Amino acid sequence: MLTVCHLYPNLLNLYGDRGNVIAFVQRCRWRRIPVQVREVNLGETVDFKEIDFLFIGGGSDREQGLIIADLRKHTSSLAAAIEDGLVVLAICGGYQLLGLYYQPLVGPEIPGLGILDLYTRAGTKRLIGNIAIETELDGKTVRACGFENHSGQTFLGNIEPLGRVLKGYGNNGRDGFEGARYKNVFCSYLHGPLLPKNPALTDHLLRLALERRGMDRFLSRLDDTVENLANEVMLRRLGVAKG
Amino acid sequence: MGVRLTTAIFAGKAAYFIGKLSGGRGSSLPGAVALRIFPGTLRALADQITYGTIMVTGTNGKTTTNNMLARVLESFDDRLVINREGANLINGVTTAFLKKSSLRGRLAHHWALLEADEAAFPKIADIVQPKVVIVTNFFRDQLDRYGELDKTVSLIRTALAKLSSAKLVLNADDPLVAQLADTGLPRVFYGVGAPTRNGEAGSVTREARFCPYCGENLSYRYYHYSQLGAYRCGGCGFVRPRVEVEALGAEVIDGVTRCKVRVEKKVLPVTLPTQGFYNVYNALAVFAAGLLLGIAPETTAGSLSRYVPATGRLQQFNYKGRPIYLNLVKNPAGFNESLNLLCGTRETKDVLIALNDNSADGRDVSWIWDVDFERLQERRDILRFVCSGRRSEEMALRLKYAGVPVQRITVCPGFAASVRQVLEGHGGVAYLLATYTALWPVEKILRRYARESTVADRLPSLSQSS
Repeated sequence: MLTVCHLYPNLLNLYGDRGNVIAFVQRCRWRRIPVQVREVNLGETVDFKEIDFLFIGGGSDREQGLIIADLRKHTSSLAAAIEDGLVVLAICGGYQLLGLYYQPLVGPEIPGLGILDLYTRAGTKRLIGNIAIETELDGKTVRACGFENHSGQTFLGNIEPLGRVLKGYGNNGRDGFEGARYKNVFCSYLHGPLLPKNPALTDHLLRLALERRGMDRFLSRLDDTVENLANEVMLRRLGVAKG
Repeated sequence: MGVRLTTAIFAGKAAYFIGKLSGGRGSSLPGAVALRIFPGTLRALADQITYGTIMVTGTNGKTTTNNMLARVLESFDDRLVINREGANLINGVTTAFLKKSSLRGRLAHHWALLEADEAAFPKIADIVQPKVVIVTNFFRDQLDRYGELDKTVSLIRTALAKLSSAKLVLNADDPLVAQLADTGLPRVFYGVGAPTRNGEAGSVTREARFCPYCGENLSYRYYHYSQLGAYRCGGCGFVRPRVEVEALGAEVIDGVTRCKVRVEKKVLPVTLPTQGFYNVYNALAVFAAGLLLGIAPETTAGSLSRYVPATGRLQQFNYKGRPIYLNLVKNPAGFNESLNLLCGTRETKDVLIALNDNSADGRDVSWIWDVDFERLQERRDILRFVCSGRRSEEMALRLKYAGVPVQRITVCPGFAASVRQVLEGHGGVAYLLATYTALWPVEKILRRYARESTVADRLPSLSQSS
C-alpha cells in the first residue's frame, strides 16, 4: 500500500494543485497498485517515515504564513525523511518554503524550512503565463508544460534545477532554470496542474516511490492519448513541440 | 456641453452602429472610442442621472442580480441605463451610457444599473458615485488577472471607504463580503436561512475558512455552498451578522425555484422561473436593494416571478421538444453549482463543456481541477461529455482523471461541430456549459437550431405543480 500525503489541502489549494494528487492516485489505481491518501491539516501530526509521496501546493500569502509556523514543528522529521529518499512534489509556495528564506519587498526575511539550498526574493513584476520546460527523467528528455503565476523569484544554491525553460519565466525569469531537484524531491512553479498532462513525470515519481519501498518498480503501460494531446496542444501553442 | 464630449459621443455612437451593422454585440468598443477622445465622457454622462446609480460587484451573480433589479425598476420606471450584457469594465459601462445619450451628450434618465468587474470597480465607482453598492460574493476567479482573493477584497474595501454617500447591500453568508460592513457605510444584510439541501453541496472550494480579521478557523453551524453559510470565529467573535432580508426553505421543482423571503418583519412567498440555488441569493440582493430604495417587497416579488435569464445564465432553449440549458461557468464555485443542477435529476442527458483560456476567461485553466467532477463518475444518466473550446483537451483530461469513462468523453475543439453533436445526442435534455468567451459563439450557434423558451413556456409547469 502506497501512502500519499497531501499537506494542508485546505490551505495550500490555489490553482487546482490538488490535481497532482488526483493524477498520482489515479495512475496507481489504473494499475491496481493499492494507494491511500492522507490529508494533513493545520495542527495535525504526521510521521513522514510512513509517507511514500508527499505533495505540497501553493497558497496565498496569508495561508503561507499560517502553515510555515505549523510546519516548523515537523522540520527535522521531514528533513530526515527527505534524506532517506522520500518522494516529494512541491509547487510554487510549497517549493519556496522548503528553501532558506523569502525576502519580501519590505521588511525582514521570512525564514523557510531550510531543507533545500535555495532562496526566494519578492519581485516587482508578477511572472504569469503558460510555460514549457525540458527535463531529464531516467536519461530521457521530457517536455513538460503548465502555467506559472508567482511574484517570488527563486535562486538556486548548490542544488540542481528541475529543468530548463523553453518558453516562459521559470525560477526568476533570468537564469533560464525552472524548479529544483534534490534526491527524490521535485520542486516547480508549474501549476496547470503539473502532473496530469505530464504523465512521464508522474510515472517517474511513482517508480521512485515503489523503489524506495522495495516494491516492483515495473509500471504497466497506460493509454495516455488524452494526456499527450493536452500536453502537445500547449507545447504547440508555445512553439516548442518536438518534431 | 463641451465640443470634446460631443465629438466623443458622436464617435462612440458611430462605433456602436458600425459594430451593430457588422454583426457584433457592440458592447465595449464604443465606450473605448469615446473615452479615448474624451476621458471625461463617463463622468459627464453619469452626472446627469437624477435618482441614482446602483452598482453590483462580486465574483458570481453580478449580471443576474443587475438584470433582476432592472426588471423590478422597469415595472414602474423605464428610464434606466444598464450594462445588461455583462460588459462590466469601464468601456462597457461607458457604452451603456452612450447608447442612451443624445448626440449632444444629454441624458434624461433616472437610474443607472451597473455591474462592475471587481478589478474595474474602484475606478468606475469613483467616477459614477453610486448611491447603492451590492456585493454578491467573493470566490476564486481569474486568478491570473488579480493575484489572490485577498487582494481583490482589499481593493474593493478601499474603494468603498472613499464613497462617503453610498449605502451597501452585503451578502451576510459570505465572511469575505460581510467584513465590508466595517467600512462604516450604512448597510443592509441578506442571507439564506437554515440549510435547504441535503449533502449536495461540494465541500471542496470553501474559500475563506479563516477569519478575515484574526486568521482563526471559522466554524460553520451550516453552509450552503463554497464558504456561504452561518459562520463564527472562535478567535475574535466575528460572526455572520443578523440579516434584514432572508430566504427560508428554498426548493427547486420543475425548473422553478420557490422560497419564502423575509424582508424585515414581513414574510412573502417568492417564485423564480429559473432553477439554480444561487439565484435565490441574487433575488435576495434585489429585495435588499429594494429596502434601501423604498420599493415594496411585493413589487419586487411580482417582477421576479417574470424574470427571464440573460444570455448564458441558465437560459432555456428547446430543440425538437428537448429542453436545452445554456449556462456560463467561470470558476469552481459556479461550476459546482452547475454540476448540482446536472445531478439534480436522473433523466438522461448530454453535456457540452466549452473551455476557453482567453484573457476574459482567465488564461490559467487550472481551476477546473478544483471543480468536483469526481461526483460524475457513477452517473450513467450522463450519456456523453463533449469537450470544446481552446482547451478542450484539458477539459477531457480533467474528466478522465475524475473517473468518467473515456468512451463517454469526446474532444471536439470547434464550437459548431460540438454544439451539433450535443443537440443530436440521445439524452432527454442537454446542458451546454461555457466559459465567458465561449458563451457567445456557443449561443449564436445554438440559436441557429433551437428556439429560446419564454416565460410563458415555463409558467404552465408552475401552475400545474401548485
